[in-house]
Amino acid sequence: MKKFYIGAALLSLLGLADALYLTIEHVTGQTVRCTILSGCSEVLSSQYAVVAGIPLAAVGAAAYFTVFSLAILALFGYRFAGKILTPLVVAMFFVSVWLFYLQAFVIRQFCQYCLISAAITTCLLSLVIIRRFL
Amino acid sequence: MKRLLPFIIILVVLGVALSSAWYLTRSIPAAQNPPGNQPPASPGSQPSPAQSQQPALTGVPGAEPAHTAGPATAPVKLEEFGDFECPPCGMFHPILKQMQEEFGDKLQVTFREFPLVPTHQHALAAASAAEAAGLQGKFWEMHHMIYDHQKDWAKEFDVRPIFEGYAKQLEVDVERYKRDVDSDAVARRIMQDGNRGHSLGVKGTPTVFLNGREVPFEDLPAEKLRVVIQNELRTAGK
Repeated sequence: MKKFYIGAALLSLLGLADALYLTIEHVTGQTVRCTILSGCSEVLSSQYAVVAGIPLAAVGAAAYFTVFSLAILALFGYRFAGKILTPLVVAMFFVSVWLFYLQAFVIRQFCQYCLISAAITTCLLSLVIIRRFL
Repeated sequence: MKRLLPFIIILVVLGVALSSAWYLTRSIPAAQNPPGNQPPASPGSQPSPAQSQQPALTGVPGAEPAHTAGPATAPVKLEEFGDFECPPCGMFHPILKQMQEEFGDKLQVTFREFPLVPTHQHALAAASAAEAAGLQGKFWEMHHMIYDHQKDWAKEFDVRPIFEGYAKQLEVDVERYKRDVDSDAVARRIMQDGNRGHSLGVKGTPTVFLNGREVPFEDLPAEKLRVVIQNELRTAGK
């Protein structure tokens, strides 16, 4: 069980770094250069990148930080933290699926760091599922 | 102590996250600082030293005559490879205008077409529109119009009528413009600029050269670009 919480904490740290980077990109207006292969910043500059005036990336950073805090608390024996962790990760996964859908079918451009975040959330969900069956 | 340890770990991570976010936000300056109102240069806002150490590149010639603004005798010559549909190019546009205002006759700007096809579906149409207006001496007017309204047309299905509308507003002969947009002369200019870009190793947009040396992308925000230009002026002894 300890390995699970350590894994979740490490993954959420990666997610936090990724989401923080995206937030800074968003807040400063600094965007990555467009190349022939990449879709540059269409995703970050789209209307879906902001919810109620707050950059979605900042919401993601807060979510990853919460997952990290809960995993650390659970690692040190705070049982309530483990119970909150599962529904939070499931909710984050569904949000990631929705954002992936928006990138694939609405904006029709992918944002590399958004995809990394989706991958991290998927790994977190896999951890949660594995824990249920162990 | 063991009961406090998780909270200490959480607080440390929170502190590191917030302080790195604060540091990075400060070191990436906002794109548009009003002239004369810039904060003092901090170590994070210094341009990377690599720029002035690179050898100047020449490459194959682009379209002639090139679209230039500013005197040919200017000690600093800036050449931009741009794509009208690329959002960072749209953000760089006001920065470049600001630099032109600040440095006046000391800076000559050249714009080269580098439409990223097929990443940007309207980039070629936009480049053709600017070049067609250019054949009537209105390149820069159209260039500004297309960049200033980038968000208005980029998501449209058919951009041609929009660009024709801009041409009309700029008092370009629209009938001639419509013929020129699809002409070989316009296509050749775009191809020649693209060839020049490839010969200089341009991979993306905006790519900016200052007196033949590429300015790193992270030095393109106004505050850093200003320092790069000032350094170049100092080197030229002006």
